[in-house]
Amino acid sequence: MTELSNDTIGILGVIALLIMVVIGVRVYIAASVVGMVGLIAMIGWEAGAGMVGTIPHSKSVTYTLSVLPMFILIGFLAFHAGITQSLFDAARKWLGWLPGGLAVASVMATAGFAAVSGASTATAAVFSRVAIPEMLAAGYKRSIAAGVVAAGGTLATLIPPSAILVIYAIIVEESVGRLLLAGFIPGLVSALIYVGIILIWAKIDPKVGPPIRGYTWSDRIKAVPGTFPVIAVVVIIFTAMYLGWATPTEAGALGAFVVFLMAVAKGMRWPGLRESLLDTAKLTVMIFSLIWGVLIFVRFLGFAGLPEQFTNFIASLPFEPWVVMVCILLAYAVLGMFMDAIGMLLLTLPVVYPAVMALGYDSIWFGIIVVKMAEVCLVTPPIGLNCFVVAAVRPDIPISTVFRGVGPFVVADFITVAVFLIWPEIITWLPRTLMG
Amino acid sequence: MTQPLTWTPEQEASGGRAVARLDRALHAVERVTAIFSGLFIFGLMFVGVAQILGRKLFNYPIFGYIDAVEMSIAVFAFLAIAYCERMNGHVRMELLIGKLRGKPLWLAEAAGQLLGLILLAVLIYYGWEHAMRAYNYGDSTIDAQIPWWPSKMLIPFAFGLLFLRLLLNLVGYVRLFANADAAPVAVPLIANVRRLAEEEAAEAGALDTRRDSPSGRTGA
Repeated sequence: MTELSNDTIGILGVIALLIMVVIGVRVYIAASVVGMVGLIAMIGWEAGAGMVGTIPHSKSVTYTLSVLPMFILIGFLAFHAGITQSLFDAARKWLGWLPGGLAVASVMATAGFAAVSGASTATAAVFSRVAIPEMLAAGYKRSIAAGVVAAGGTLATLIPPSAILVIYAIIVEESVGRLLLAGFIPGLVSALIYVGIILIWAKIDPKVGPPIRGYTWSDRIKAVPGTFPVIAVVVIIFTAMYLGWATPTEAGALGAFVVFLMAVAKGMRWPGLRESLLDTAKLTVMIFSLIWGVLIFVRFLGFAGLPEQFTNFIASLPFEPWVVMVCILLAYAVLGMFMDAIGMLLLTLPVVYPAVMALGYDSIWFGIIVVKMAEVCLVTPPIGLNCFVVAAVRPDIPISTVFRGVGPFVVADFITVAVFLIWPEIITWLPRTLMG
Repeated sequence: MTQPLTWTPEQEASGGRAVARLDRALHAVERVTAIFSGLFIFGLMFVGVAQILGRKLFNYPIFGYIDAVEMSIAVFAFLAIAYCERMNGHVRMELLIGKLRGKPLWLAEAAGQLLGLILLAVLIYYGWEHAMRAYNYGDSTIDAQIPWWPSKMLIPFAFGLLFLRLLLNLVGYVRLFANADAAPVAVPLIANVRRLAEEEAAEAGALDTRRDSPSGRTGA
């Protein structure tokens, strides 16, 4: 048997990983098996297996990662705190008079809820219950009512607290605080572009979503206090973090505590809390498994020198950096149609990120862009999970109708990404201004 | 994966009842680990709040806070890993395998379990060695001098539970592969996107059915 070179082992490893993932092996198992076998092949049994054996503990037990369960807990507790209905109520009263007013209100309410939730599917699920019935009652088309909620749910991924942003920060060794802060304005811009699409659409075809009128100013003002809990959580988390009172973990803990108190005030008892804690434990262990699994794979890639080679290849391409970037983003759009968002990011970033840095892009900027692409993959067929969530909550709306309704918002997402490509300052300005 | 009240011959075929009994026993342990790590996360929340208050109001931060948090990450990062597997919570790509039926499906699933078992055997052995080294050398954190070995020891333990879970999955899938008439018992089934979406929606409390069955899932 001839000795294989490290390059060859590296490429074989990537192919093996792809095959395993495609045939349905759990991503963390596939990534660590390939990493383990590859390392053993390159540096021998004792050194390779010994190294692999220490990675799960040593890579997980870092203080930065402790922010993940806090953010996840905030999201699960938020559903018991009765925030959704009051947010939608306020948004409807303030924005209902616009063309497509209820759809606009839904987008803004999901954006507001995103500020206490990091989970897109959960946001879509709750608003399917709250917003879709009202839109249908007001004569909206089913496809639009469903599409708005499915797309609005994705905003939770970008607007902090967002688990995916934290994962990106950890994989590329960026500051968690910086990335969370950077997500704010792009999240808002995304929401406003959704609103713009709705306004144009409803102007062209008034049947799409008739405006609703009849709210007095006193109605509007009375609806405002219902949104205070969300504002409170946002203000608490961010002032605590940026005045230097608290680390992201502590700020997350304080946010979770506030939401916990609100949920208790709304009548959450032990069964509700136990459900939230079990769900939090499950999601937390899932994310950690992916992190160490992928880091075993990354260690192997490093030994094989693959990221460097890919970087050299990308840097040697005779194209402008933005052309390469557009190609990378298109690749993510296609990949996202078939893969789970977190799995997709974790598997690709170790190779793609160094190459993107070599092209001269900002790491915070790329993080936001790539997370935005992960949002898109939540609503594109055939497995856009958010659309299925809407269809699951509303069995009267077939999945094909949801996908049809979400179409204009996917277009909006691509416009958003183009805007960020042309004006990167939208992303980089806030963290640079506040954190230097 | 609810427990049937009456057993059909298909479910009983090839020892379905035995597999189900083992599943229940293991799941009871898994559920304890999940509740334990959930409570740890809940505790981390209170400790975080106390730390902010202590530092800002009384200028008295909790001694060894960061050390203790790092130590406890092992609990919620690993302990519930078998629970997550049982609840079909780990990420996988189901597009292709979801199209398979019958023997090819059970074979592919069994192969996946086998890969996991090989990996875990290595991780458990070397994770245990890693923990024993920390124990023998008295490895401890820099600030509060908390010994590292209990945190490291949790990993072979959690992986051990996952090993048992994957072993049971393997037995479950092999049983299905060997006996075409058997009905699935105690194995994670492909959650097609639709069912996955229903689970997500139920978790968010957005499905009516949730009210009828407050625990949401059975099997423990």
